[in-house]
Amino acid sequence: MDVVFFFQWLDASMLAEFSKSSSGIFAVVQTIHIASMVVLGGMLLLGDLRMLNVVLSDVPSSLVIENTKKWIYLALVFIILSGIYEASAIAMKLAYNSFFFAKMAGLSMGIVFILSLRSAVYRRAPGLVYPEGSSQTLSQSDTLRPWIVKLVAVTNLLIWFGVASSGRWIGFS
Amino acid sequence: MLNELLFRFASWLDTFQSSTDLHESLYMYSWVESAHVLTLMLFLGMLLVIDLRLLGVAFRNIPASKIVERLDKPMMIGFIVMVISGALLFYAIPVRSTQSIWFRIKVVLLIAAGVNAFLIRKMTRSSAMKAWDNDPVPPKRIRVGAALSLGLWTLVIGAGRSMAYDWWDCTKELPYFMYWAAGCVNEMAAFEQ
Repeated sequence: MDVVFFFQWLDASMLAEFSKSSSGIFAVVQTIHIASMVVLGGMLLLGDLRMLNVVLSDVPSSLVIENTKKWIYLALVFIILSGIYEASAIAMKLAYNSFFFAKMAGLSMGIVFILSLRSAVYRRAPGLVYPEGSSQTLSQSDTLRPWIVKLVAVTNLLIWFGVASSGRWIGFS
Repeated sequence: MLNELLFRFASWLDTFQSSTDLHESLYMYSWVESAHVLTLMLFLGMLLVIDLRLLGVAFRNIPASKIVERLDKPMMIGFIVMVISGALLFYAIPVRSTQSIWFRIKVVLLIAAGVNAFLIRKMTRSSAMKAWDNDPVPPKRIRVGAALSLGLWTLVIGAGRSMAYDWWDCTKELPYFMYWAAGCVNEMAAFEQ
């Protein structure tokens, strides 16, 4: 499907006119984009490393995941808004940039993944990822095998690593 | 005086063939820069979790000492990678970096963030921490340190990002003060004549 028309529309929009006019504001928005990336990356890393029993292994995993949720959503909102602003300034360049499309595909996949599979699997994480004797340990029949939880953690890390690195390479291409 | 010393040091680094090779390499420079930016998520991501806990706005139901101690190792791994990749990026473009006002601001901010981190570390490693370890909201002095940390590191990101722009490069026509602040030694000499 030819999507160049969308980039042409974005390039001619008032937002593009504004974003192209001030490199100072553009730099501030870039900083917000990177800072939001730190929030998202940090919270996802913490949750996934917890599920892999690398960090905070003596803290109930549900506590860690619960605390990271709202920060992940907040960071995603800022990343998308600042990303649209940045894209508007270089819309026609992005229309022919394969790294941009790789990033968008990864971002969509990542969002769907954390809202569906990651969330569902982490809710049914087995006793292994909870401290021994914790009252929050689910019964055996309600839990998933540890390797499934760990596979989801590794997959999530790989998806978001791909999103961040393809985003970085937009600048080089 | 300091400007000239820094300029001479940067010019000396610039004479190395490996510095030019790294800067002009097709992929290596981009990989080093990507590593520098991506490791932000490990280093600053873990620091963010610690600071949010010390601010009392997240992870309030987990003892502060646990967050501070357990996340120290991954955070330091990220920090080491950032320092190495940052040093390589400087080595690849030593003269322009030394004469970048944004790089200079970044270094000053890094020193301030380092002193602040040292003070927070001291306060969170003392026996007095036991008194508030399980409190959802830590004492005011800890919260001030955590807020400062978040603010300083956000400014570090901003200064680092701004280095890519040529707004105040030595090649531009600038007021004398800006030449001095950026360390544009040759331009300062031309200005004085």
